[in-house]
Amino acid sequence: MENVITLAHGSGSIQTSELIDKIFKSNFDNPYLTADDAAVLPNDTGKTAMSTDGFIVSPYEFPGGNIGKLAVCGSVNDIACMGAKPKFMTCSYIIEEGFPVEELEKIAKSMGDTARKAGIQIVAGDTKVAGKGQVDKIFITTTAIGDIVEGVNTSGAFAKPGDKIIVTGDVGRHGCTILLARNEFNIDADITSDCAPLWNNIETVFNETKDIHVIRDATRGGVGTVLYEIAHQSNVGISLESDKIPVDPGVRGVCAMLGLEPLYLACEGRLVFFVPAEVADKVVDALRKCENSEKAAIIGEVTDENKGKVILNTAVGARTILSRPSGELLPRIC
Amino acid sequence: MNDIIERARDIITGYDGPKVRIMEVCGTHTHEIFRLGIRSLLPENIDLISGPGCPVCVTPVGFIDEAIYLANEKNCLITTFGDLIKVPGTEMNLAKARANGAKIRPVYSPDDAVEIARENPSEEVVFLSVGFETTTPSSCLAVKKAKDLGLKNFSILTANKSMPNAYLKLKGSANAFIYPGHVNAITGNAFCRQLKDLGVSGVVAGFTATELMTALAVTIEMLKKGEPFFVNCYPRVVKDEGSIQAQKLMDEVMELCDTQWRGLGTIEKSGMKLKNEFSDFDSRIKYNIPHIEGKPNPGCRCGEVLQGHCKPSDCPLFGKICTPLHAVGACMVSDEGACSAYYQYNSSINN
Amino acid sequence: MCVGLPARVVSVNDGTAIIDANGAKRDVRAELLDDLEPGDYVMVHAGVAIAKIESDDETEGNEVMGILAI
Repeated sequence: MENVITLAHGSGSIQTSELIDKIFKSNFDNPYLTADDAAVLPNDTGKTAMSTDGFIVSPYEFPGGNIGKLAVCGSVNDIACMGAKPKFMTCSYIIEEGFPVEELEKIAKSMGDTARKAGIQIVAGDTKVAGKGQVDKIFITTTAIGDIVEGVNTSGAFAKPGDKIIVTGDVGRHGCTILLARNEFNIDADITSDCAPLWNNIETVFNETKDIHVIRDATRGGVGTVLYEIAHQSNVGISLESDKIPVDPGVRGVCAMLGLEPLYLACEGRLVFFVPAEVADKVVDALRKCENSEKAAIIGEVTDENKGKVILNTAVGARTILSRPSGELLPRIC
Repeated sequence: MNDIIERARDIITGYDGPKVRIMEVCGTHTHEIFRLGIRSLLPENIDLISGPGCPVCVTPVGFIDEAIYLANEKNCLITTFGDLIKVPGTEMNLAKARANGAKIRPVYSPDDAVEIARENPSEEVVFLSVGFETTTPSSCLAVKKAKDLGLKNFSILTANKSMPNAYLKLKGSANAFIYPGHVNAITGNAFCRQLKDLGVSGVVAGFTATELMTALAVTIEMLKKGEPFFVNCYPRVVKDEGSIQAQKLMDEVMELCDTQWRGLGTIEKSGMKLKNEFSDFDSRIKYNIPHIEGKPNPGCRCGEVLQGHCKPSDCPLFGKICTPLHAVGACMVSDEGACSAYYQYNSSINN
Repeated sequence: MCVGLPARVVSVNDGTAIIDANGAKRDVRAELLDDLEPGDYVMVHAGVAIAKIESDDETEGNEVMGILAI
C-alpha cells in the first residue's frame, strides 16, 4: 500500500477495498462487520439493518439534486438493499465558515422532502462549523436503520450460478452529471443525476417474490465495481451482454469524448438484482412499473466458471474481461 | 454482429497458413481490441502483438521527473492529459505528487490549459505536451493561441513523438503493422508506401468493431499472397495526403529532434520540440530545467515487451512488485497496457 | 494512440466549432478543416477537429472488403 492517502483510495476502486481491508477491517473486526452495504443486526423480533455514509460531493448542487437529497438516498438505499424498510435516520453536518444560510436551508429542505418520500424520519443530528478552508463548503454524514422484511435474506455472498442479473436503469448518470457540473472539461450535455430513494422499488419486487439473492445499489465505482464485488463475495463468475446494458445517449457521448467506461461511473439511483432465472421476468416487469426503474433490464447471468471475473460478450461475438480500473477515473487521449 | 464483421471473422478464424505476427502499433487499437475481445478469436498461428504506440507507454521516466520538478521547485500548475497521472517517475507519479501538495490538473485539451492560464494570471501554467502526430497539432494550436493572447504564464513541456522513424526501428518485429488511423489522418500514407517499398507491410485501420475486424481480415488475406502490401482500410477518415493544414501548422511551430522512448532508447528524429520562435513557451528553456536523468527500475522489461521480444510474465517484476495497483513499468499503467492486460487475464477465460 | 470522437458539427464560428456527440456538446478548434458546415461529421481528438468523416463504417467496410474479392 502507498504511504499516503491518494484520491484513488476514495474512488471505490481496488485501492478502496485494499484500504478497508488493511486499515479498518483488521482494527474493527467483529461478526457483524461484512462487505455488504449495511450491517444486519439482531433485534427482539427479527433483524435490523444499519448503515452510515458520508457525502462530500462538489458541487453540492447539481442537475437532479443536491447533497441533502443525496445524503438521504445513499443511506436509505444501503439498508433497503438488505431488505430493510427505512425507519430512522441521523445526520451530521460539517459546514465551512462563511457558508450561506439560504443555501443550507435549501439543502435541509431537500433532505426533509426526500426523507418523507422515502418514508424515513430524521430523528437526531449534529452540526459542526469548521474554519474557512478546513472543509470544502459542506459535508454531510447520515446513518439509517430499518427492520428487515420477514422472509427476505439477501447478501452479496448469495449469488448462485444461473442467477439472472438485473439493473434498474441506465448506468453512470450521476457520475457523469457531477463530472459535467464541475465544468473542468467544458462539455455541455443535458444529463441529470439518477439520485433517488429506492425502497418503493424494492418493496414492489418483494410483493412479487422474496426469492431474491442479492440487491446492491451501485454508487461510487458504478455498476462495474458492484459486479466485481459480488463475483468475489459469492465466488462466482459473471457474464454480461454488452449490448443489453442501458446507457443514456448523452452519457455515452461524454464517455466517448473523455475515454471513460459508463459501467464505472457512479450511480445514485440504480440497483443491481441477482435473482433466480425463473423469477427474473416477473421482477423486471414489476420494476418497470415503478418510478425510477422504468428501464430495468436483464444484463447478464451468473456462471460457475471464471470465478471472480466479469466477462463481457462483445459486438464481434467474442468474450473479453471487463477491465477493472485502478484508482480515480481520468479522461484519456489514448 | 453485422455481415461485414461476420465475413471478416470467417477469414480471421479460418486462417490456417504459417505463423504470422501482426503488430497493432496504436494504444487505442490495443484498447479496442481488448474491449472487443478480438484476441480470443485468433487461431494459434496468428500472433497479435501490441506495439509502442501509446504516449503513456513510451514517455520516459525522466519526463515525469521534469514535470514534478516544475510543480515542486517552480510552483507551477501542471496541466496534463489524464493518461499521464499514473505513469511512474523515478521517485513517484503525478498522483502521488498531487497528494503531497503539487498542483496537478487533468484537462481534455491543451486549449483548456491556455484558458486556465488566462483565468489565473498569478499561476505559472505548464501543459505536458505528449502524443504523436494526431495530438501534436492541438499543442501547436494552444501555443499559437497563447502567443496571440500575449500570455506570459503558459508554456509546454514537450515529449511529442513522430512515428515514421520509430517504424524503421520496429522493422522486423512483425510481418505486418496495423497502422494508427488517426496518425495517418494527419500525416497521410506516404511513409507507409515507402515502408512497403522497403518490404514492410501494413494496413491503416479505424477503431470501430467493423473497422478493426475488416483491417485484420485484409491483413491476413494480403499476407497469404506473400507480397509486401499497403492498404488504407480507413478511407472514410484517412486521405492519402493527410491533413495539409495540420502538417503546415506543425512545420510552423515545431521541428524534429532526437528523443528517448521508454524501453526503446533514443531514436533519431523521432521527437518534436518547439522552434526557436516559440522558445518563450518552452518550459525547459523558460525554467532552465536542469538535465534530469530518469532512473527506471533496472528489472523492468517494458521495452522488450513493447517490441514483442518477451512476454510480460518473463519480466522478473511482473505480478510481484509490479501490479496494476503499484505499476513499476508503463505497460502496467493503463488498463490495456500489455502487462496490465496480461495480469488481468492471468488464467484465460473459460468458454 | 489516439482516441477519436466522431461528432456532428452544430455550428462553425471563426476557426472554432460546436460539435455534438450523442448530445454531448463542446467547443473545438476547427481551423484544420476547410469548408466546414453544420451537419458535417468530423473526427475530434484532444479538442481539435482533425478530419472530416466521409461515410459510415459499414459502407467503408463493404468497400474495403471488396478489394479482397478481386
